Amino acid sequence: MDNEHESGQPATRTLGEPIVITDGVKKWFGDFQALKGITTSVKEQEVVVVIGPSGSGKSTFIRLLNREEKPTVGKVYVAGKDIVGLSSWKVPFLRRNIGCIFQDYRLLPKRTVAENVAFALEVIGRPKHVIDQQVPAILDLVGLSEKSHRMPDELSGGEQQRVSIARAFVNRPLILLADEPTGNLDPDTAVGIMRLLDRINRTGTTVVMATHDRGIVDTMRRRVIELSDGRIVRDQSGGQYR
Amino acid sequence: MIGKIRFLLAETGQNIWRNIALTFASIIVVAASLSLFGASRLVADGVDNATQRWEGGIEFVVFMKADAEPSQLVAIETLLAESEGKEIDDWNFVSKEETFSEFTEFFAGDEELLGTISVDTMPPSYRIRPTDTNAGAVEALGTTFETKPGVRTVVFATEVIREIQDNASKISRATLWAGVALVVASTIMILTTLSIAIASRRNEIEIMKLVGASNWFIRVPFMIEGMVQGVVGALVALPGLAFVRTYLIEDFSESDNLRLLEGFRVSDAEFLFTSLLVIAIGTLVATIGSIVAVSRYLDV
Repeated sequence: MDNEHESGQPATRTLGEPIVITDGVKKWFGDFQALKGITTSVKEQEVVVVIGPSGSGKSTFIRLLNREEKPTVGKVYVAGKDIVGLSSWKVPFLRRNIGCIFQDYRLLPKRTVAENVAFALEVIGRPKHVIDQQVPAILDLVGLSEKSHRMPDELSGGEQQRVSIARAFVNRPLILLADEPTGNLDPDTAVGIMRLLDRINRTGTTVVMATHDRGIVDTMRRRVIELSDGRIVRDQSGGQYR
Repeated sequence: MIGKIRFLLAETGQNIWRNIALTFASIIVVAASLSLFGASRLVADGVDNATQRWEGGIEFVVFMKADAEPSQLVAIETLLAESEGKEIDDWNFVSKEETFSEFTEFFAGDEELLGTISVDTMPPSYRIRPTDTNAGAVEALGTTFETKPGVRTVVFATEVIREIQDNASKISRATLWAGVALVVASTIMILTTLSIAIASRRNEIEIMKLVGASNWFIRVPFMIEGMVQGVVGALVALPGLAFVRTYLIEDFSESDNLRLLEGFRVSDAEFLFTSLLVIAIGTLVATIGSIVAVSRYLDV
């Protein structure tokens, strides 16, 4: 994180047009209603922190944005496109513009750090010379150049999350979705991860993050959307956890 | 494009390697079922060939000498014409040319044998359907021809041949159904192997989906894996079929006790057709198994 965050001041940045819009989104899982009418938007280059207790609908909200889930009712627009009605063969192309990171990193245990990152480019058919150029560059960005040949189980939790971020960002997505990215990390390591996400945000990538981490939220002072029982109960710029 | 193909092949190779025991089992099941299916066809072809001249109720064949005079043929035909509607129900003449043509078709590929024969060395013959098919009556009628001028020999359809012919269709039908049942089992085996492969790679599949791999890019390695099982299974079945042809069918027919089954063999064309059919079925089974597996277990 940059110094102004650490000093507790909210970041001021010129934001672009809305890149994510949700309109009256409701989601049921059987009899359980996870989201009860979410209408909001996220602008280009914005950082939005989604907070709330377990079961409040944070993860469901995140999963709607890359079409892992579809709303039962309502619309979701990403980069101007209605992604609810998107035919299934177009979903992969949507996801190439959306990077995802998770609490449990989801690395492939039998591939090295570099191979894990390269995997994201290989499976979308990027040529080898592009992969050979982009993988070292992104590993340098996340500070893991020296460990590119290590296996995931030889890394610390923070390093594994950095690999996961490198994999999510290597294709230069428009949006980075993070579901509890610091959930398994100690506070110091979590700060390092947040600094990295902030650096990525500064390259123009929008970041939408669900978290429980009070310290992170209070230090970042970014826009906070608080969910409770499937509803938005607070949407505040430069917000704190409370 | 080359990079994509290389990646897909590498993924397929890894899939097969990780799942090697089940892949191997799948290949064996496919090979066993296609061997049975192919063998049933080869045996049916052999039986057809051996009994071809006895089809349609023909009870005996009068073989003339290769150098029989035309007048001797006329004498036999006159005799047959006179008996038609009485002792003989129907008869037909097989010329030297027709015999030669049947023979060359039958022994196609056996250059050594074919080099020793010509149209002139072929015996013309009369295939005869008697009115009374009682064994004694047939034999009495047949032997009257043996002593006629120009006749080389009279060959009777024996009970063994008749029995083989009668049972041939039942046997082919039964083996065909067994083959079909095993082919269905092969499809299920491929389907199961792929479902396990898909389950064991669910983490990779999930990541592939999240980073935007296209649906086909995710499916293709599993489909190739299924095709490998089907096609390799079919290829493994082919030496088995060659064994059935050479040692079971042809050596069997040459044993002294089974002289009656002279001609119990499978032509090259028939063998090639059965081999291609086996490969086609192996491919079809693999295609069906793969498509069902990826559409049912691979939720992309």
